[in-house]
Amino acid sequence: MMRTFPFGTAALLMLFCSIVSGAWLGLHPAAQKQADLTFWTFTKIHYDPYTETIPTFEQQHHCKVDLQLVDTRAVTSRLQAAMLSDVDVPDLVEIPIDFAPAFFRGPLEHVGFIDLTQRIHQAGLWDKMVQARFAPYTSRGHIFGLPHDVHPVQLAYRSDIFAQEGVDVSKIKTWDDFIRIGRKLTIPNKRYMLELYDFRSAHLEACMFQRGGGYFDPQGHCIFDNDIGVQTMLWFVPLVAGPHKIAGSIGSGQILTQAVEDGYFLCLVCPDWRSKSIEKDIPRMAGKMKLMPLPAVTANSRHTSTWGGTMLGITRHCKNPDLAWQLALHLYLNKKELGKRYEGTNILPALRAAWSEPSFSQPRPYWCNQPIGALYAKLAPDVPFQYTSPFIATAKDKLGEALVACVQYYNANGDNGFEPFVRATLKEKADQVRALAARNPY
Amino acid sequence: MKEPTSPTLPAVYSVNAQDAAIKEPSITSGQQHPSDTPRQDSGRVGEGLLRVLVYVLLCLAAVLMLMPLVWLVAATTKNSDDLLHYTFFATRPVSLFGHNFALLKPFSVDNFKALFAAIPFGRYMLNSVFISCTTVIIQLFFSSLAGFALAKYEFRGKKLIILLMLATVMIPTQVTMAPLYELIYRMGLVNTYPGLLIPSAVSVFGIFLFRQAILQVPDELLHAARIDGCSEFRIYRDIVMPVSRPMVGAFCLISFMGAWNNFLWPQIILHSNEHFTLPIGLNTLVGPQSQLYGALMAGTFLSILPVIVLFLLLQKEFIAGLTSGAVKG
Amino acid sequence: MTTTTLEHSAVEPSAQRASQWHRVQHRLAPYLFVSPFLILFVLFGAWPIIKSLVLSTYTTNGPKDAVYVGAKNFQFLLSDADFHVAVKNTAVFAFWSVVLQLPTALGLAILLSQPWVRGRALFRLAFFAPYLVGSVFVAVLFNVLFQPQYGLINTVLHFLLPSHFPLDYKWLEDASHVMPALVLAGLWLYVGLHMIYLLAAIQAVDKDLYEAAQVDGANTRQQFWAVTLPGIRPVAIFVLLTSTIGSFQLFDLPYILLNNGPGPNQSGLTIVMYLYNTGFVTGDLGYASAVGWTLALGVLLISLIQLRVTGAFKGENE
Repeated sequence: MMRTFPFGTAALLMLFCSIVSGAWLGLHPAAQKQADLTFWTFTKIHYDPYTETIPTFEQQHHCKVDLQLVDTRAVTSRLQAAMLSDVDVPDLVEIPIDFAPAFFRGPLEHVGFIDLTQRIHQAGLWDKMVQARFAPYTSRGHIFGLPHDVHPVQLAYRSDIFAQEGVDVSKIKTWDDFIRIGRKLTIPNKRYMLELYDFRSAHLEACMFQRGGGYFDPQGHCIFDNDIGVQTMLWFVPLVAGPHKIAGSIGSGQILTQAVEDGYFLCLVCPDWRSKSIEKDIPRMAGKMKLMPLPAVTANSRHTSTWGGTMLGITRHCKNPDLAWQLALHLYLNKKELGKRYEGTNILPALRAAWSEPSFSQPRPYWCNQPIGALYAKLAPDVPFQYTSPFIATAKDKLGEALVACVQYYNANGDNGFEPFVRATLKEKADQVRALAARNPY
Repeated sequence: MKEPTSPTLPAVYSVNAQDAAIKEPSITSGQQHPSDTPRQDSGRVGEGLLRVLVYVLLCLAAVLMLMPLVWLVAATTKNSDDLLHYTFFATRPVSLFGHNFALLKPFSVDNFKALFAAIPFGRYMLNSVFISCTTVIIQLFFSSLAGFALAKYEFRGKKLIILLMLATVMIPTQVTMAPLYELIYRMGLVNTYPGLLIPSAVSVFGIFLFRQAILQVPDELLHAARIDGCSEFRIYRDIVMPVSRPMVGAFCLISFMGAWNNFLWPQIILHSNEHFTLPIGLNTLVGPQSQLYGALMAGTFLSILPVIVLFLLLQKEFIAGLTSGAVKG
Repeated sequence: MTTTTLEHSAVEPSAQRASQWHRVQHRLAPYLFVSPFLILFVLFGAWPIIKSLVLSTYTTNGPKDAVYVGAKNFQFLLSDADFHVAVKNTAVFAFWSVVLQLPTALGLAILLSQPWVRGRALFRLAFFAPYLVGSVFVAVLFNVLFQPQYGLINTVLHFLLPSHFPLDYKWLEDASHVMPALVLAGLWLYVGLHMIYLLAAIQAVDKDLYEAAQVDGANTRQQFWAVTLPGIRPVAIFVLLTSTIGSFQLFDLPYILLNNGPGPNQSGLTIVMYLYNTGFVTGDLGYASAVGWTLALGVLLISLIQLRVTGAFKGENE
């Protein structure tokens, strides 16, 4: 064999590996399904419960549903490529809030998703679900997605350290209270009151939403450089920069876990989905963590904000939109199922009636027996509207850039000329978003 | 005679280099170099110091280069509690004769367990092996065949082909991604192995490499074979390829690494978990909320192992072939 | 060896003796040999490129709609702040990569080429090992190594220079440190590869030249400048240009290292990443194609210089 194979040992070895592995893979092919509906979701947190409930739906409607778990980042690129080539487009897709609006570009009749406005009103969902959550999936007055969640924000805190330091959480009503205590507890480079990103927009935007601001107005014009935007930035930057900083960030994943365990961060911005990540990722802090409502900007203003989200859309390629709609309702409206799913995800569904399910008011040992579902549900009606535009991803990047620039300026110059700088920077970045949007010929 | 602007390596470098490389590399050039002969005494001390300095620098560089890899190996052996507590391997204090020593903790296989629990790593590995090996074989055959034709034949359209290849080789692959996806779908190959294999079946780079190598095969060899009645394909199989063996080795490794590390195209073309290759599969573990650093590191470790093994297998051919190809451009 | 390839006149005498079949197969052989490549290449290489060229004159808004805009995409590129950032970042990365990688690689190659060095194979393997890891896995690995507080790089730097590098020194989260981090990871990844090329080139320099230089009384340094450098010049130029071109096509490393994004303040945005983002995230494939073609023209320019300097493809004209 060696004598007659002209490419040498290594190539022969590869040929061998190729044939053997190919044969094995040929004998164990991926199960090919002939499905009536193809449904993509992007996270295992959704995927696992759906695999349990979809067989019921299949039985009820005598159909086949092919549920596929597609990687978060791949879901956009692949959907984009699929829709561009008009091929292999799934019937239903769950998409993260940041990526969905990119698909709302172009003339309304050519948006990749079916306009659900009519169906939503017919089914009475407009009143049954948290209305604020339709806003991120609405373009030019038309709703293209069903909201999966509400994602109210609270603060998770190290209750053991707070107790040690004699902090009375019930006295923390406003951010001013919070910052005062934060200044006392923060030890530079060793312990910070709060984890806040100083390099991307996720936390800054939550603060902006809390104040009623946002990236876009309902008509889709970029507005993050308005007064609310400026005020939020002026307030936010000194928290994460300068001599009196009480917050910062060091990374994510296990690094963050370690930092929380070490008491490097005392509080975390904590929407409902993150409370689950914390339970899972920082199991050793069980019984040492608690939740408190987000401090308000002024007394009597809202004690929450929002971070993240998912929509369920039916694509224009769907051959059977009615069946797809039925599946959407099956997944998003079944109170019992939602109650059960909550236990595994901690995610508050957009359907208000579901919150009365017993699982939401169950005390959670991890959170010192706080009934965290009820706590989130209490804040959910206050969740601010966030309007969107196809350029939301760019807007987020630009706000992040503005944040970095302002942090740098503040570190170098302090309050000196800070306000004009913030104003100019935000305007510059927002102008870039507007310039991009102006290219849009539709 | 050599070409006037020919680089410094001998024209039949590929053949010579292989013979040379089979010997222990550390002594290959040692016998020939002039400065190996003893110097005057005045330089002795300086020479000795210089040698020490060279070794120090080399060792320092080696330590810096290897440290992340050692860290990676160490990370795979630690359980999740120890992962961030110990910079390298986890140790435990041991008291012996009143002195405290640090002793290695027994290695933990937790990370590997976590890895295999989190993702079907075995399947990913098999997919990667299949995709990469098949890609290499197909590329090797097509590229060497075409490289042979372009090196040793005159035929109509040859210049056009070379021009076409030249024009396309510099274009970043991302440019073609959307049209290519559509094409693959129309062929019904989305989410299939062929959908991954066919677009990468030919390597323009490989053709250039083989063309350069085969240009250096003496024409007289081919003439002689033809007079003996060899068919053109036999000439390719029995003369050209065996003579270009170092290039084949080099190409195998380069092509394998390319396929093994391919990231963006599989990400777009593959839908189902059963088809994922290692980079795509492992990347599903990376995320803002990832808690699986240990598993991730274990996966990374296992993912780079085949390449390292292949390199050790091909090292000599690889370096000889790579460099002779490089010198020719 | 002659540079001329096979000519028909040279074959004729033997071909006369050969059978009819032999002549036919000889004539057909190059076409047969080239055709599998050619078919696949035209279908999967050339055609999509042409299609994307057409696409670059459109603004595609949403998947269905392509509006013909002529050269407007290219016009907007000139005023697009993000694209400028991407070009700047890519150029900065390419510059520092070349400036750091090549001298380091050359230095290591020179050290390793000393004839009395023992364990050359081991050193070579040590230097080359990172390249074997591959950019995807290097990015995954360095994503962890660059973490503040617990990452290896901060641990080591803090140990060496405690005053300059606090443990929570941020690499990937601080806009001004992302580029150094990328360059560092790139240096680690590629220096071994360049070293292999340069080492081979140094070892292939004609030994007689050194002897001649020694006879002329040249010291080691003079030998380096007079013999080694001119000897390895073609290889050095090749390495210089391929690493520049590679740097301009940078994508995997920053994309995975920065958690699938451009990093804080777009500090890790490269041209190809910008192309990917505009095309596959924002959904304007026309504009992305224009970005791609702009990059392609730049790279083409560099490549042509490379081919000219190294004198590849000599000989097929004869």
